[in-house]
Amino acid sequence: MKPSVKANLYLALGILGLAAAVAARTFLSAFFNDAQSGAVIGVGAGLFGFGLAKWLVGRWGEKNPDLMKQNEIEVKDERNQLIRSKAQALSGEVLHWLLMAGAWTAIFFNAPLWVTLAFVGVFVLKTILDILLMAYYQRKM
Amino acid sequence: MRNRLEEIRKLRGIKQEELASALEVSRQTIGSLENGRYNPSIVLAFKIARYFDMAIEDIFIFEEDPL
Repeated sequence: MKPSVKANLYLALGILGLAAAVAARTFLSAFFNDAQSGAVIGVGAGLFGFGLAKWLVGRWGEKNPDLMKQNEIEVKDERNQLIRSKAQALSGEVLHWLLMAGAWTAIFFNAPLWVTLAFVGVFVLKTILDILLMAYYQRKM
Repeated sequence: MRNRLEEIRKLRGIKQEELASALEVSRQTIGSLENGRYNPSIVLAFKIARYFDMAIEDIFIFEEDPL
C-alpha cells in the first residue's frame, strides 16, 4: 500500500472516531445510557487521536523520506526489538509480583475481600496467560 | 563470542553509519556488535558476512567456555 493512501486511511479513521464521539454526545445520546455514551465518546476520541497522529506522521514521512526510512530501520532493528521485548517482559514480571504485594497490602489494611480477590485473580490470570503463551511458543519455535 | 567487525570495517574504510545503512540496522547496533555487548542473530551474521564477502567464521569467533 502506498504511504499516502495509508496516511489518508488513518485520517479517515480519525474522522470516523470524531464523528462517533460527536454523534454519541448529540443525536445518538437518546439511544445510549450515560455509560454507553461515555464509552463511545472515549473510543471515538481515542480513534481520533490515533488516526490524526498516524496521519501527521505519514505526512511528515512523505516530506522527509530519509528520516522516515531511518525511523523504520530503528523500529525493525533486531537489537531494538530484543531490547523492547526484554523491557516489556521484565516490566510484566515486576507488575505480576506487585499484584501479589497488592493482595498482601489489601489483607494487611483489612480491605474488602473483593479487593484482595481482584489482585489474586489478575495474578492467576497472568500466570495462566504466561503458561499458555509458553505452550504456544514451544509449538511455534 | 568475539568478532573482528571493527577491525574489518576499519580496514575497508567504512563508517559505522554506512555499514548500518547497508545492513538496515541502527548505528547503535553496529557499535554494540563491535564492542561485544550484543551478539547478532544468524540472519544478521550472514548479512554482515555477505556484505564483506567473507565467511561468518572469519568475522565471528566462537569461544567455548572452559569446563
